[in-house]
Amino acid sequence: MLVLAWRNIWRQRSRSLGAIMAVGFVVWLGLVYFGLVGAARDGSYVNLTENAGQLQVHTRDYRDARNIRDAVVRDAAALRPRIAATLPDVEVAAALDVPVLLAGADRSRGVLLMGVDQPQALRERFAAAYLAEGRLPAGDDLDGIALGGGLARTLQVQVGDTVYAYAPGTEGTGASAYTVVGVLKFPDPARDASTALLSLPAAQDLAAPGAVSRFELHIGQVRRAPDDAVLMQLRDRLQSALGGAVIVETWREAFPSLSRIEQVMRPVGLVFIGLFFVLAGLLVVNTIYLSVIERTREFGVVIALGARRGRVMRMVVAESLALCGTGAVLGLLLGVLSLARLSQGFTYPGLEKLTAQVGFPSVLYARIEPAEIVTVLGFALATGVLAALMPARSAGRLEPIDAMRFVA
Amino acid sequence: MDPLVTVRGLTKIYRVDGQQTPALRDVDLDITPGEFTAIAGPSGSGKSTLLHLIGGLDHPTAGEVWLQGQRIDRLDHNALAQLRLQNFGFVFQAYNLIPVFTVLENAAFVLELRGLPRQQREARARRALADLGIGALAARRPNQLSGGEQQRVAVARALAAEPKLILADEPTANLDGVTGLALIDEMRRLNREQGTTFVIATHDPRLLERVRRTVYLEDGRIAGA
Repeated sequence: MLVLAWRNIWRQRSRSLGAIMAVGFVVWLGLVYFGLVGAARDGSYVNLTENAGQLQVHTRDYRDARNIRDAVVRDAAALRPRIAATLPDVEVAAALDVPVLLAGADRSRGVLLMGVDQPQALRERFAAAYLAEGRLPAGDDLDGIALGGGLARTLQVQVGDTVYAYAPGTEGTGASAYTVVGVLKFPDPARDASTALLSLPAAQDLAAPGAVSRFELHIGQVRRAPDDAVLMQLRDRLQSALGGAVIVETWREAFPSLSRIEQVMRPVGLVFIGLFFVLAGLLVVNTIYLSVIERTREFGVVIALGARRGRVMRMVVAESLALCGTGAVLGLLLGVLSLARLSQGFTYPGLEKLTAQVGFPSVLYARIEPAEIVTVLGFALATGVLAALMPARSAGRLEPIDAMRFVA
Repeated sequence: MDPLVTVRGLTKIYRVDGQQTPALRDVDLDITPGEFTAIAGPSGSGKSTLLHLIGGLDHPTAGEVWLQGQRIDRLDHNALAQLRLQNFGFVFQAYNLIPVFTVLENAAFVLELRGLPRQQREARARRALADLGIGALAARRPNQLSGGEQQRVAVARALAAEPKLILADEPTANLDGVTGLALIDEMRRLNREQGTTFVIATHDPRLLERVRRTVYLEDGRIAGA
């Protein structure tokens, strides 16, 4: 039957080629789309987790905290060794976020000051990526501060100038003067205008002695999102080791809005690809339907010779599947070639600034899951079957004598 | 000998645009196994209609058609398809070969519908093609054959399935004199040597000279036998 279907689709070569190209294009489009979604997913993941880690440890109920006292882990020094003992292969950073009024000589700005204590490797990567001038405050530096370029311009300060911070703390309001030791440059203008970095001891000294807002756990430097199941296992292990006073969250849980955007990209893509398949399917319906009409006499003969309705319908479905299958194979080949190229790294020419602003690295790497390939091919298969239903029903209902007398 | 086909009171009336046009009226007929029978008559006399009703290609308005004791005129679409597949071979005036198939594939097509394995069906199709002297054409496509050759392929297609009855509707109508006669002689030989039963609707006088029995139809009624 497949041989017959294959030969029949080439009886109207140009019409069949049109349908094959349409299906092939949509398959290619679907694969490339999912590849780009994978790139965006990995890109946003890298951008986020390079700074914030894949797992975070917070005080329980930190989300509902109305003041800094309720938002921090007070016994940070005791907690850190327990984290390191539970997950020894993980790099641990600590951060304390302090809402402050930061003032230069003439201007002030409310910002979220961040005191950080990072392992050396992370610190070097951060500096290499974002330090534009000067240096980062040293790990035990109680005096130095690094500002985002936008914030430095707003406060009209530069390296060597003094800034003043006023902050509500766990022990009352704190105030301190810092020397600007470095200027950072972030692609995201909002981040550039609001970042102020201290050493963790300096931030603790200002607002919350001995406390941290969170521990950030970095599980290697990876270009793609690790398996959620692996992260959840690590999370559960750490949670049970640390007890109920703190909460361990994966990056998805810590940044739910970003995770939701990522999770929405796939269904949205499925809807769009589905619509494209509907359009391609209409072309396949047209091709198959015309073919059935033109071959009405032939179907009449086949029925007269003893083919049952089901057999005739399967013949039509087989032709539709042959069309869509050929298109799917072509689309798959082109899609794989395109993705092979894009997986080596690509940029959106002229849109580098925009992609950086939305949180993507400058170079993205296309990636597609096997399930996504199966989904796209499944769409093509479903298109083949659905497009054939109406023509197949028409062919199956033919009466042999009427069909053999048919004149197109 | 018990009849292979029994037809009783067979009537077919076509309704076109509200007009009733009788094609067959109250026809009785028996076909016994091994017959080589012609159904003759002028155009519009009901020859093809009778052939179609015997072959289960159409439903009668009234009357009965029996095949070896089984009443077939009330069977549904699929049951009739199965009946045709297992019992009848058809040869049509316009050959009606499948153009994308080779000669061999055309000859084996009914056996494919029956679900025979490829080797078996090709062996039987080759034998049928050889019987009709066109074994050498097995790899060709229908559009590479003459009319006579195509009609032989159609006979081979019917023959390969070893049906109880071959129904041929004006098989020589599109063939020149020599080719038509040759085809008739082939069918006679197959009837004689293999015992295949033929019922042939025709108004070709050359064919009528060569059959053992002729049933004359006129205005849908049997006018003589």
